Amino acid sequence: MTREAFEARLRGILAERYHDRHPFNLRMHAGSLEPEEIRCWVRNRYYYQTRIPIKDGIILAKSEDPAFRRQWIRRIRDHDGEADREGGLELWLRLAEAVGLDASEVASLRDVLPGVRRACDAYVRFVTSRDLLESVASSLTELAAGGLMAERIACFERHYPWVKTDGLRYFESRTRQAPRDAAEGLLYVLDHAVGDEEQERCAAALTRKCEILWQLLDGVEWGGRPLRLAAGARLRDDAEGPLVVLAERAVQLNETGRTILALVDGERSPCAVAAALRARHPEPPEVERETYAFLEEMERLGVVEAAR
Amino acid sequence: MSAPRPWNLVAELTWRCPLRCPYCSNPTRFDLGKDELDAAAWARAFSEARALGAVHLGLTGGEPTLRRDLAEIVRAGAEADLHVHLVTAGVPLSADGLAELARAGLGSVQLSVQDAEAAASDRIAGAPVFAKKLAFAAAVRELGLPLTLNVVLHRHNLARVGALVALARELGARRLELANVQYHGWALRNRASLLPTREQLREAAAVLERERARAPGLELVFVLADYFAERPKPCMGGWGRKTAVVSPDGHVLPCHGAAELPLEFWSLRERSLRACWEDAPGMNAYRGESWMREPCRSCPERARDFGGCRCQAFALVGDAAATDPACSLAPRHAELAAARDAESAPAGDAFEWRSFR
Repeated sequence: MTREAFEARLRGILAERYHDRHPFNLRMHAGSLEPEEIRCWVRNRYYYQTRIPIKDGIILAKSEDPAFRRQWIRRIRDHDGEADREGGLELWLRLAEAVGLDASEVASLRDVLPGVRRACDAYVRFVTSRDLLESVASSLTELAAGGLMAERIACFERHYPWVKTDGLRYFESRTRQAPRDAAEGLLYVLDHAVGDEEQERCAAALTRKCEILWQLLDGVEWGGRPLRLAAGARLRDDAEGPLVVLAERAVQLNETGRTILALVDGERSPCAVAAALRARHPEPPEVERETYAFLEEMERLGVVEAAR
Repeated sequence: MSAPRPWNLVAELTWRCPLRCPYCSNPTRFDLGKDELDAAAWARAFSEARALGAVHLGLTGGEPTLRRDLAEIVRAGAEADLHVHLVTAGVPLSADGLAELARAGLGSVQLSVQDAEAAASDRIAGAPVFAKKLAFAAAVRELGLPLTLNVVLHRHNLARVGALVALARELGARRLELANVQYHGWALRNRASLLPTREQLREAAAVLERERARAPGLELVFVLADYFAERPKPCMGGWGRKTAVVSPDGHVLPCHGAAELPLEFWSLRERSLRACWEDAPGMNAYRGESWMREPCRSCPERARDFGGCRCQAFALVGDAAATDPACSLAPRHAELAAARDAESAPAGDAFEWRSFR
């Protein structure tokens, strides 16, 4: 495939699969997200932000070329800053504060949804297991990021005026950084993927990265969707402990499980259930993680389902 | 090991059936089940079962919807505070009849189809019922009842597991059970016309692996064929441990096939469910581990598979206490493997059709 045709193929993948088309992003940009949904997204997306310098460090370590490393290391500086309280991660925490979250709590990562965690960890694993070329190709979602950032700033100013504009500085910084990073990454990929086999691997890597970003938003949506006890499922007290009885299955619960299920009322989402439990138990760090793991398992077993 | 508790009461309301599937798990000796319990006797059994710790009631057969008093039986189950689950072929019950069962407290439905398309499905069923089954599934969903689709797999339909998943999605099923034939009852008689090849099983498993990845909302259950596995199934989760099966004439059994074993089981006509479950010599014959011989007795896997299936041991080895010959460690495994290798084929049949309608 010629260089031009290959570039067009990569851009075609983004046009078709980039997460700007995800239902959650469409709702964000249409202005129809509730403040709680915005907060959920900001809190969870921070986990992705924390993975970026880690995966860039991994990419850095794959290269034998000082010029490449000199260029790529700037991405880590962009995210981590040159000093404390600087850089992209810090700006994201300012966004967290601007939407009404506690920055130190967001930074603790204790309230990251499991689907989001899986998606982000899959990205780091992908970059770890692939060669330099595929790893760089997977970063080319940045080709679409610059435009999305500009759109997002306008969308926040218009639809979510309650978010202080100071919080939008992350997006502003990315409107400058993403196109520059993407241009460098694209040049590298076009220069190095010259055979069909290499181009194919790069296209597959970019496709996989689009899937990961999509799954991240799936994970955010899961956290905000109200749950109810599945039709026909009944919570009952049994001699051997609390029990849910439903079609073809009975699930024994411990007391924690019963407490969590009692909060599943057709109105509360997984995030709302976790928040209710956090309010009762301010100390233990694992409240959210255990709540989400339990609700995912109950959904898998058919005990709970989306209420709408 | 936890104490025996009949979590699930399986009520075989009748062994009559309008279908003739040649792999039916009912005993081949139908004379055992002609004198059916009446609804009042079932109602007594249900409240006794609840007292013994049952939470599920499965109404099955034969074809349970042949019972004219089925709504009364469903109501008795619901009144005993059991989740009432109907296992049916979808005929001859009408949509109105199903709605009446829902009003009586029916909790969920398992519907069988024999294949993914009419001609093949009707051929195995021995009756033109596929279209009625689809209409029945729609009626189940209209009533808001959770639907499980059940398909028995064998050499004649394994190639269509992908189409079966599509059918389950189309019908709005919450769960699809794809169960390879277990060679008991009629299926053992027809083994040489049913056994698939290893290749067929491998391909079906690969298709299901792909479908599972894209099937949120549909639970896919694939029950492997123990003839092709290294280890036996944990049959019924252990003999007389979690499930009580009651045959049409009231005998309390550990599984569907045990009526054909030379054991003494007791009947609800003479005794309470508690006595039949706890004290009948047959129920205690293979509880726990003390009955086991080597290689089971010292096997680290005995707590997982409970020594496999007693009915299979009896049918193939002539001794219900023998190690399940499906286990590759069993002394008589070579015979099962030889029969499997001789009879396994991708096509061809000479069925002996199930009778007793």
